[in-house]
Amino acid sequence: MTNPSPASPAAPSVQASGVSITGLNKSFGSNHVLKGIDLTVAPGEVVCLIGPSGSGKSTLLRCVNLLEVPDSGTVTVGGFEATDEDVDLNAMRRHVGMVFQHFNLFPHLTVLENCTVAQVKVLHRGKAESADVAKANLERVGLAGMEGRYPDQLSGGQQQRVAIARALSMDPQLMLFDEPTSALDPETVGEVLAVMRRLAGVGMTMLVVTHEMSFAREVADRVVFMDGGVVVEQGPAAQVIGNPQQPRTQDFLARVLNPTDVEF
Amino acid sequence: MSENQPGGAPVPQPGPDAGPAQATPRGPDAVRPGGARRRRRISLGIQAAVFVAAIIAVLLAVDWQTVGESVFNFAAVAPMFPDIILIGFGNTLLYTATSFAVGLVGGIVLALMRMSAFPPYRWLATVYTEFFRGVPALLVFLAFGYGVPFAFGVQWPIPVVVMASLGLVSAAYISETLRAGLQAVPKGQYEAARSLGMPGWRAMVTIVIPQAFRLVLPPLTNEVILLTKDSSLVYVLGLAAHEFELTKFGRDGITALGAGLTPVLVAGLMYLIITVPLSLLARRFESRGAGRSRS
Ligand SMILES: Nc1ncnc2c1ncn2[C@@H]1O[C@H](COP(=O)(O)OP(=O)(O)O)[C@@H](O)[C@H]1O
Ligand SMILES: [Mg+2]
Repeated sequence: MTNPSPASPAAPSVQASGVSITGLNKSFGSNHVLKGIDLTVAPGEVVCLIGPSGSGKSTLLRCVNLLEVPDSGTVTVGGFEATDEDVDLNAMRRHVGMVFQHFNLFPHLTVLENCTVAQVKVLHRGKAESADVAKANLERVGLAGMEGRYPDQLSGGQQQRVAIARALSMDPQLMLFDEPTSALDPETVGEVLAVMRRLAGVGMTMLVVTHEMSFAREVADRVVFMDGGVVVEQGPAAQVIGNPQQPRTQDFLARVLNPTDVEF
Repeated sequence: MSENQPGGAPVPQPGPDAGPAQATPRGPDAVRPGGARRRRRISLGIQAAVFVAAIIAVLLAVDWQTVGESVFNFAAVAPMFPDIILIGFGNTLLYTATSFAVGLVGGIVLALMRMSAFPPYRWLATVYTEFFRGVPALLVFLAFGYGVPFAFGVQWPIPVVVMASLGLVSAAYISETLRAGLQAVPKGQYEAARSLGMPGWRAMVTIVIPQAFRLVLPPLTNEVILLTKDSSLVYVLGLAAHEFELTKFGRDGITALGAGLTPVLVAGLMYLIITVPLSLLARRFESRGAGRSRS
């Protein structure tokens, strides 16, 4: 991922944080979803998480910012031991942006308000400064001029780019993406991936759950294959996607890369 | 106009369907197959025939002389005014407003209890809600009107009895409405807010509740309509003259004025003056809420 992407002029330099996950376990009732996951993401690194549906990718991502509380194990984000009982979760989450499969934009707020509300209410930035930050980030994702629209007036790709701008407006040091293009029409997938590619280019730490193998191959520093709640295989993209060693990885890639019997 | 005008409207086919209404094609109707259109016309025709027959039957069956004297005898009900407006209408509004206020506050508390992480709160709220939804409001009126003096030796003023009875009953319904509204906001909204660093209460206040509010406005407006009508139940308690509301005025008018049911009709019209605008308001909230409620 060393190719210098054409970063837009408004792109600020990123103060990136890493993630360190050790011995993570998570069950829903009797369903043991994450079985002792160990995973680190270095500051500025882009890690793509791949694996079949139900393998626990979303749960792992949601454990990083404690939307799900792990049963055991530790998650450290930047300087925050997120799994420490006494940690200020809200302070930790300010540094971790999250982009959801279904965007989760706030439908009662305009595009600009979507990007300012947390700045004002959480970071206590002034209205004018928040609006400036939001506009810069909207421009960064190619949506200058859309500030006054409501989410339901935008295409899926535009909504997802607003969601990215909303997260970036909090100046995160780490971005989590949970299948950001899975709910999109094929023709708008590219615009979202382009924004993510640019973000990777300016050194953002990114943990990305995706089925876009060409994106993973091109952008990821490392690809992690999960199945059944464990990390089965990980390594450079070219190795894991191009020359997988584990039979389960080979099976999965054969299905994903052969579009006739794709089954997510 | 030439036949081969580009983009011209299709010329209506002369035939049984080509009535004056079809002379100008109107959007989708114009392209419907003739069969469906004919069936719709037949259906409309049958409905119109039944309607006219029903009206004729009513006109023939009713003794209009008597009805004129005992239902539409407006001249004889003049003595009801202005008290039915100043006292009756005013008290109906007062009883409705105060019981809605109690119901709303109680409903919010109950909804919070229903969603509490502390189980006894949930049980308590569930028992309360099931009890007051399952018991006739009339019994609650009797309990507060006659039971409170009996149990505590104090006689609450009638407005307080109404406020308490209807308020407690409507709190049960309102809490269910509020809970449904909050739960109808997708979970992802709360999660997105939390992922931006908002504390739980902030996510609720800034993101979830404003969306739930749009959803619950129509049912809450309907609740006000129900309360307006249920305030009439106070007639089972002994009322002093200054505590009369619309229904009491209507009932007393039957015996006092010799105008038959006309006083009841007058009272009914006054209820409609309150409820119809509320109903229109609810419908407006509904159509507006539908526009901007999904992400
Ligand atoms: N909130 C939840 N409650 C109960 N089970 C859940 C919940 N979230 C996920 N699961 C279960 O955990 C497993 C992994 O889900 P998930 O992390 O969404 O997988 P993936 O994102 O890889 O498709 C699935 O079996 C799913 O049913
Ligand atoms: Mg998932």
